Amino acid sequence: MSTSTTGSAPAAGGQGGPARDGGSLRMTWLVARREIRLRAKTRVFVITTVIMLIAVALAVALPAILSGKSKPTRVGIVGGDSATLSSIVTEAGRLSGGQAIAVPEPSQAAAVAALRSGDLGAVLVDGKEIIVKQVGLGGPSGAVASLAQLAGLSHLVQTVPGAAAAVAHGVALPVRGLETPSTSLSSRLTGLFTVVIVWVLISVYGSQIALGIGEEKSSRVIEVLLSTVRPVQLLIGKVLGIGLLALGQAIAMVIVFIVAGFASGSSLVHGATLGVVIAGGVFIVLGYAFYCTAFAAAGSLVSRQSDVNSTIMPVQLPLIIAYALSYTVIYATGANTFYRVLGFLPPTAPIAMPVLYAAGDVPVWQVVVSAAVCAVGVVWMARLAVRIYTNSILRTGPRISIRQAIRESRNA
Amino acid sequence: MTSPELVLDGLRRQYGAVAALDGLTFGVPAGEVFGFLGPNGAGKTTAMRAIFGVTALDAGEIRWRGRPADEAARRSFGYMPEERGLYPAMELYDQVEYFALLHGMDHAAAAAAAKHWIDRLGLSGREATRIDALSHGNQQRAQLAVALVHNPELLVLDEPFSGLDPGGIDDMSSILKERAAAGVTVLFSSHQLDLVEDICEAVAIIHHGRLVVSGPVAELRRGDRPRLAVRVAGDTAAAWAAGLGASSGTVDAVRADGTAEISITSAADSQAILDLARAAGPVEHFAYQDRSLSEVFRQATGASVGQAEAEHAAANMAAAETTGARR
Repeated sequence: MSTSTTGSAPAAGGQGGPARDGGSLRMTWLVARREIRLRAKTRVFVITTVIMLIAVALAVALPAILSGKSKPTRVGIVGGDSATLSSIVTEAGRLSGGQAIAVPEPSQAAAVAALRSGDLGAVLVDGKEIIVKQVGLGGPSGAVASLAQLAGLSHLVQTVPGAAAAVAHGVALPVRGLETPSTSLSSRLTGLFTVVIVWVLISVYGSQIALGIGEEKSSRVIEVLLSTVRPVQLLIGKVLGIGLLALGQAIAMVIVFIVAGFASGSSLVHGATLGVVIAGGVFIVLGYAFYCTAFAAAGSLVSRQSDVNSTIMPVQLPLIIAYALSYTVIYATGANTFYRVLGFLPPTAPIAMPVLYAAGDVPVWQVVVSAAVCAVGVVWMARLAVRIYTNSILRTGPRISIRQAIRESRNA
Repeated sequence: MTSPELVLDGLRRQYGAVAALDGLTFGVPAGEVFGFLGPNGAGKTTAMRAIFGVTALDAGEIRWRGRPADEAARRSFGYMPEERGLYPAMELYDQVEYFALLHGMDHAAAAAAAKHWIDRLGLSGREATRIDALSHGNQQRAQLAVALVHNPELLVLDEPFSGLDPGGIDDMSSILKERAAAGVTVLFSSHQLDLVEDICEAVAIIHHGRLVVSGPVAELRRGDRPRLAVRVAGDTAAAWAAGLGASSGTVDAVRADGTAEISITSAADSQAILDLARAAGPVEHFAYQDRSLSEVFRQATGASVGQAEAEHAAANMAAAETTGARR
């Protein structure tokens, strides 16, 4: 609307020539591309990604680092046969899962002084007594506890006739379990990790999708969009674009999980079977697709962005239930029937099935069946969502009930 | 008039008990600025949405160059809806380019077109500004840039003049005329009938979802019976006009200053009317007088634009109450 109204035809439009092809896939991709570019550029996205990755790295590496097995315990030796006692100290370190070093000391006074200064962690006197700076509330632990047992045993063998023979047969009673756990704790924890990713991605990105659709509706840009783009292209493009971002973030989280796990020697990555990881990946994608189309439909029902949260809450409910119950399965042997049923329902399977599989409660074929059921559920939900979305996206005013949107979509 | 390029043929759309479109039919000639007029609630927005397939029709058809307007044809249309809207958090350039891409332009053409229209509409320097940080006037320009960026063959604007100051109205109308001169068919709607009578060459006026009248503005304003405005000095009641025979014309109205507005019959002789007036006293004013478009509307429907809008608002409230009671 500038006042310089020269009548020149637009050079760009005239020569560059609109291609006017606009294939369906191209349109969907253009919509997806806008979502990715717009979001990846924002400071919020960069910051949350970095925070998420740091959180994963810390969650994996901190326990391993804090267990402090990299620092050997130094044990002072006073009197006795120093060669034998040294080997006892070394063995005690190995048994405790860490390392212990024997340090010969000239006198008990010198050893105690070294103990006070922190140079030594413990002192073994004449192979009969162990001195530490302070005994922990739960009694001695780690290398010191092992040392106490080994040295005690050695003392017993030397002082009591016939004890050596008894020791040779072993002093500890064997422990036999009626049932062995079907999978290791590590595998279960990998399942839990999957569940947390599904949960975080769906809650974070699902509400972003609903908010984005609410934004298009409340800003009224939707009408301009619909003059060239079909509702199904808009909806799928949005879910796809945000989904690719989410997938990128999930992959980054898994890489950090594995790298941090190996670098810190965390027990979390050992024993995590490839199958659990693959099943987790499949259900992350299925769960995202199912919920995010549902969130898109929910977002299209409101006229104001502030109403979005109240609409997506009911949609999220099955996910919350499955998420809460999954903790009971991770730490138990054998899931109950109710949770097994959840593993086959599309709204809850993306959480329940990876957990069941990681805990060894279901065979592979059931995982495949559940994934197939989920895939059907995704298609069904996408169709329903497109119907609700198409019918309600241009309607303003009070919130539209889902039943109303579905019913009226039949004659729209 | 050449054969119409855009045809709205028998459009029907029912919303509950209300017929928003009730067999609406008219054609828009190529390369003209065409006004689509009627009171608020007449069905203009519904008809424009139907052109873009945004509103489904119960019956009827939109034809573009003789063929049903499909998705491919619509991609060569540009649209500025009544409810203006752009992505608030998106930067101006990105936004304009995005819509160029959606209309099927390749990246190079979209970039060049976005730059061209941002410059043309006086927005250069604001390419990286978010839409919600632009002034109201500049947001309107951005909206127009989005409608124009892909060089549409048909430009459809819903109430483009509402909310504009006089300067803005001049700018907007010069752009519409410029586009029409470049061969673009321009269809715009307005509920302010008299405001736009100088802007468009032809109009369609609708009421209750039906066509009231359509044609070139000059013909409509002249009407079947040309109108004379005659004032005789000192005769503030236009008493002289009582001597007019029914065969020469009828007095439509008498203005406060005594000017009589007379619709003359086709057979009547204007000079005979002038003679009659001169016989009564010195004639101060004697001229053909075109009707305003709102008067054309009133003559055709028996109600003023204001009455029609009040009626529509009352019907809306009644409808809302019925729906409320049903809930």
